[in-house]
Amino acid sequence: MNFFVPFCIPFIVGAVAMFITLAWKWGLWLYRLPRADKKRIVCGLPTRATLDAAGEVVCESLLHRRIFRVNPLLGYMHMSLAFGWFLLIAVGWAETIAYVGFRWVPLQGHVFFRYFATGLPHKPVFAFIMDLLLLFVLSGVALAWGKRFFSKRMGMRRTTRHVLGDRIALSALWFIFPARLIAESTTCALYEGGGFLTGTIGAWMGEHISTMTLLTLESVAWWFYSSCLGIFFVALPFSRYMHIFTEIPLIFLRRYRLRSDEKESSYDRFQVDACSRCGICIDPCQLQSVLGVDNVQSVYFLRDRRYGMLRAEVADNCLLCGRCAQRCPVQIDLNTLRINSRDRLHNIPAERRYDYLKGVDRSSGTGKVGYFAGCMTLLTPRTLVAMERIFHAAGEEVWWADRDGSVCCGRPLKLAGETDAACKMREYNTELFRKHGITTLVTSCPICLKVFREDYALDGIEVLHHSQYIFRLIQSGRLAIERGAGQFTYHDPCELGRGSGIYDEPRAVIEAIGLLLEPVDTRENALCCGSSVANTAITDGQQLQIARSVTAELEATGAGTIVTACPLCKKALGRGAVHAEVRDLSEIVADAVSK
Amino acid sequence: MAAIHFGYTISKPRAIDLDRNNLRKSDEILREMPELQTCIGCGSCTAVCTAGNLTEFNFRKVHTLVRRGEYQGAYEEMNKCMLCGKCRLVCPRGINTRGVVLLIKRKLGDF
Repeated sequence: MNFFVPFCIPFIVGAVAMFITLAWKWGLWLYRLPRADKKRIVCGLPTRATLDAAGEVVCESLLHRRIFRVNPLLGYMHMSLAFGWFLLIAVGWAETIAYVGFRWVPLQGHVFFRYFATGLPHKPVFAFIMDLLLLFVLSGVALAWGKRFFSKRMGMRRTTRHVLGDRIALSALWFIFPARLIAESTTCALYEGGGFLTGTIGAWMGEHISTMTLLTLESVAWWFYSSCLGIFFVALPFSRYMHIFTEIPLIFLRRYRLRSDEKESSYDRFQVDACSRCGICIDPCQLQSVLGVDNVQSVYFLRDRRYGMLRAEVADNCLLCGRCAQRCPVQIDLNTLRINSRDRLHNIPAERRYDYLKGVDRSSGTGKVGYFAGCMTLLTPRTLVAMERIFHAAGEEVWWADRDGSVCCGRPLKLAGETDAACKMREYNTELFRKHGITTLVTSCPICLKVFREDYALDGIEVLHHSQYIFRLIQSGRLAIERGAGQFTYHDPCELGRGSGIYDEPRAVIEAIGLLLEPVDTRENALCCGSSVANTAITDGQQLQIARSVTAELEATGAGTIVTACPLCKKALGRGAVHAEVRDLSEIVADAVSK
Repeated sequence: MAAIHFGYTISKPRAIDLDRNNLRKSDEILREMPELQTCIGCGSCTAVCTAGNLTEFNFRKVHTLVRRGEYQGAYEEMNKCMLCGKCRLVCPRGINTRGVVLLIKRKLGDF
């Protein structure tokens, strides 16, 4: 049997072009990985991580489990296209083997098998399964069409605006399966066979269309099908569909503990190209929902970065609240990518910056517990006074790191992309903490907390947020609290919740004091106050607009007091609140301390 | 007579001739950040400044001079800023001060 006819050419050319481009891209990215990352891959290969990654590939790249969590219909659409197409290919191979036995069949032989199999005996079981799978995929295509007009039904208020290359690939993809249906049906009309779908349509065509027309139609249909495949394959590595193949190595590399960092690296390419531009990140973005800014969301940021057209206005206009990363079905480390893009755009050498820091030490007190209020806390003196009362009530000997002025933790610099300068802050503060021999470091600022935990080398010093510290004091009985009749609602600061995973301690503390009422968006889905230090682009008025929308939601709980655990959030919500009082966690604790 | 030392001094009197200064960069900065023109010069930013607490850095002075076309040394001065953002929280006119710092550095990197 000869598995070649001229209409196979577009498909073959497309497939070869795609595989060469893919091999070249992956090879280059892997080759450019830092040595440490390569070592991680080699060490990880023979471990369990490989099996886990394979499992994750099935769950995510084929079944799209995480999208099902966003919306079942949206999940079904993605699954039917990915898993359905995969099954079409896999069952197609099995079908070829069933027909011609174990012999080598070229790629186009499998793909266009129905065209070549006309002379062979009919196998109704395979015909049925293949038709069922084709219907499965076609239902996904129909939903994808429908999503253009009824995106809300699929859990998305807004969908991605695509660039021209994506539109070409998208159109080709949408035509592939209807084209296949017509091509196979015409062949069935001429030679009989086929299942409930292609067979029925074929029989109908055979009755109503003359054989001569059918012969022409068959040729045209198969040429069209092959061309759609060819165009799609050529466009794939340069369009959003690169995600189909990039997500797979990304899952493996992530399991081998490769991570993006504040400096760009080759691993980032896997993350950037793994974005499918599904647009799930658009809806949670408050810049979009509150301010109507619609060109800076992660999907557009990644697209611009991938095609080398990233502008500072896009990279800088982000709160880094992490709401998009929390929903991303590919789990791309969006915040870190944004930070290292900013690093590339804004970082300046800092050898001689901050020379004035030498010999500065305005700390006071002695104690194994250090308290670093943080710059912002110095602007919310009530928090500072409350902490002092709590320390006193618990009988804690405290070293006050920055009550009379200090050096910033360095995170705002890092978030602005000046990572080398942030290093200087880290060096200074680390030295200060070491010099005073503390074993516990308490901070009231989640921004400081995150940088202390992730970027400082503070081995031997336990870093705690004041909510955790207060929770421990209450639990161990060192701090006696009187429960009152107050009703509170709690606002999760981004850097504390999504950033550091601290959700339960502040809630436990509030519940020890009064009644806790949860707002609509809470814990992982909590809103950002809008004043994030990560955003240097939006204006004061825009910050206020976001703050008002957030406080409106918090006030809707009916609580008289909005509690938060971040001085910056407190300032922001305080401006947005209409009738509720905004207080820091430490303040309500200090008020509830038994006299 | 022994003067009482309050811990601060008065800047020396000086005259800036706006006709002789090249205001091109200043205009560019104000075009990108028009809200800077609403500054009332209250000095709250400088009063709370983390860097200003440790060194001579004075944000109000630097951005005022830059607006008048006095660019000399502005970049180096702005590099003392730690971007902590306290100034933005206290500014009564809601000026995006961190944005101003970054903008001045970007525009005056070669002065």
